[in-house]
Amino acid sequence: MAETARQLEGLAGVPRTGVRVRRPVGATLGHLLMYAILLVGTVIAVLPFYWMIAASLMTYGETALRQWWPEVPQWANYVEAWTEAKFSKYFMNSVVITAVTVSGQLLTSILAAYAFARIRFWGREVIFAVLLSTIMIPSMVTMIPNFLMIRGSIIPLPGGSWLNTLQGITVPYMASVFSIFLLRQFFAQIPWELWDAARMDGASHTRFLFQIVLPISKAPIFTVLIFAFIGAWNDFLWPLLVTTKDTWRPLMVGLWTFATEAGPETNLMMAGATITVIPILVVYFLTQKQYTEGIATSGLKG
Amino acid sequence: MSTAAPAQARKRRLSQMELEEQLTGFLYILPATLLVAVFGLFPIGYAFYMSLRRWRVVDRGFVGLSNYQKALGDFLGAGIFVLGFVLLVVALVTWDRARGRREVDPIRRIGLPLVLAALGFLAISQGWERMYGEADRRFLNSLPVTFYYAMGSIPIQLAIALMLAYILFQKIRGQEFFRMIFFLPYVTPVIATALVFRFIFNPRPTSLANQILGVLGLEPKEWLFEPRPFLEVMFGLQLEGFWSGPSMALVSIIMFGIWTFVGYNTVIFLAGLGNIPRDVYEAAEIDGANPWQVFRHVIVPLLSPVTYYLALVGFIGTFKAFNHIYVMQEPSAQNTVITTSVSIFNTFYKASQFGYASAQAILLLIIILFLTYVQTRIFGERVFYG
Repeated sequence: MAETARQLEGLAGVPRTGVRVRRPVGATLGHLLMYAILLVGTVIAVLPFYWMIAASLMTYGETALRQWWPEVPQWANYVEAWTEAKFSKYFMNSVVITAVTVSGQLLTSILAAYAFARIRFWGREVIFAVLLSTIMIPSMVTMIPNFLMIRGSIIPLPGGSWLNTLQGITVPYMASVFSIFLLRQFFAQIPWELWDAARMDGASHTRFLFQIVLPISKAPIFTVLIFAFIGAWNDFLWPLLVTTKDTWRPLMVGLWTFATEAGPETNLMMAGATITVIPILVVYFLTQKQYTEGIATSGLKG
Repeated sequence: MSTAAPAQARKRRLSQMELEEQLTGFLYILPATLLVAVFGLFPIGYAFYMSLRRWRVVDRGFVGLSNYQKALGDFLGAGIFVLGFVLLVVALVTWDRARGRREVDPIRRIGLPLVLAALGFLAISQGWERMYGEADRRFLNSLPVTFYYAMGSIPIQLAIALMLAYILFQKIRGQEFFRMIFFLPYVTPVIATALVFRFIFNPRPTSLANQILGVLGLEPKEWLFEPRPFLEVMFGLQLEGFWSGPSMALVSIIMFGIWTFVGYNTVIFLAGLGNIPRDVYEAAEIDGANPWQVFRHVIVPLLSPVTYYLALVGFIGTFKAFNHIYVMQEPSAQNTVITTSVSIFNTFYKASQFGYASAQAILLLIIILFLTYVQTRIFGERVFYG
């Protein structure tokens, strides 16, 4: 691995002007150079992942040395991280938290997006504009009041403080202006003839939404679902604030507390990091086309 | 939008169906709107309220602007400091307008913007002196750190991303594969990748970063543990004050930031390239432009709205950046890696100064509003939600 990396760097060092000077053979030479750059980029992008997985399979001694691959892969590291370092607990917490957040967010976003796109009601544009303006508010501003709110210090909450509870972690994230925005774009494009026909048949908005709109909106809903999933799974700051015990601590916070409290066991920490990363990578590899396209369209055209 | 007809007349005209329509609409938006109101809007007002109070875990009453005084030191200085930035923006706009009009008068074209910019820099440094003498410095120190972070990461990551996007756009075989790989660092949970980079940028001589230095024939460095300026550690350059530049620790974090965000920028650039009509550069090629000329004189200008967009979103993003910096901060790097968001979090979470942290958060909000304003009004057309 290291050797290829070095060879590639050598290739990339070919002066840029080479393309210009040898224009006749430029097509192939230029392609070679382009592939060389892409390969160097690939190595740089992937190397940290390789290092993480390699270190997760080493003994503690090997991680401290100049090792590129463990002598004998220590699969027991994963068992230890999973059971003794409580990654199984964190993992289950993350699964539940993500599932609850994503389904809540989807439900509220679909309803709101449908209303903003297809129902005429008083103050619609103003309310939508106000919601949109919250997108740029940094979470550092809302964090402190929200913490007090969830602790029950601002208004009394059912059941007292919501610190260390599932609802405390999930409820603030059950609405997403970004998801509403994306879905509204799509819902607005559905031809009005469909609605007129449905209305003729006596369908209500609810029936139209669930029987006609949702089945034809699978693609955008799926995009929103992936965004919500990755957002909820990767969230760190908020769960860090509202969990002081293991009860509902998700993987990200569990990994961080392990890193700060468990001392220098690099190999176990890397096993934990790998466990944290795997679900995201699986989801990403399965859905990367929709995901990257979603990023591109939402980031550009809006 | 409803028309401005008098409410009473409207009500009479509303049929049963219209009333139902109104009601359904409200019911549908109710859950989302309520949640955003409680957790997105209300906190802004409440944070402002808290920022005017002495609040260390418990509320100890109104103290006026003293939290802001603590953060900024001297209000007049802060005013001069902000004025400096306004002057810089005005200078930039004047220069841009003059260029757009193909202004020939050199005084108007170059002289005026230069004078404005010089005045701007003067105001910034004068205002800074006044503030820095009086302030508690935690907040003020975070500003140049955030600025270094933005200036160190954004240009490099945009340049790399533009290059990669341009290459990928050449109908190259495996385009999808490379795009997927380059995007990987961006989707991976940042806590995990930042922990991995903590080991890569470890001071141990066997760490990956030090091994690479070894290959280049350089001495091992302290990386994330090194509070001394990067320029001094690597090149022995000893500069004063602001010009000494980011610390070695911050540069390590910047490299991590570049690694993470290049893929995101590449994907956006690729989409931007896809939006350029094919015949534009086909025409240039027919006119005999070589690939470099096409890139320099066709692609780069046509992509400039995307570049502006990414640069400003990235700049605002550095003020919001938290997770990876929090994970990669080492005590021995001292305050050289504490960006604005991390400073707010530390004041709140570690020092338990809720009121003071809220004041810093409100200042951050003002900075972000200013940057967003500059983005929408001045560089304009391509806004996120437009």
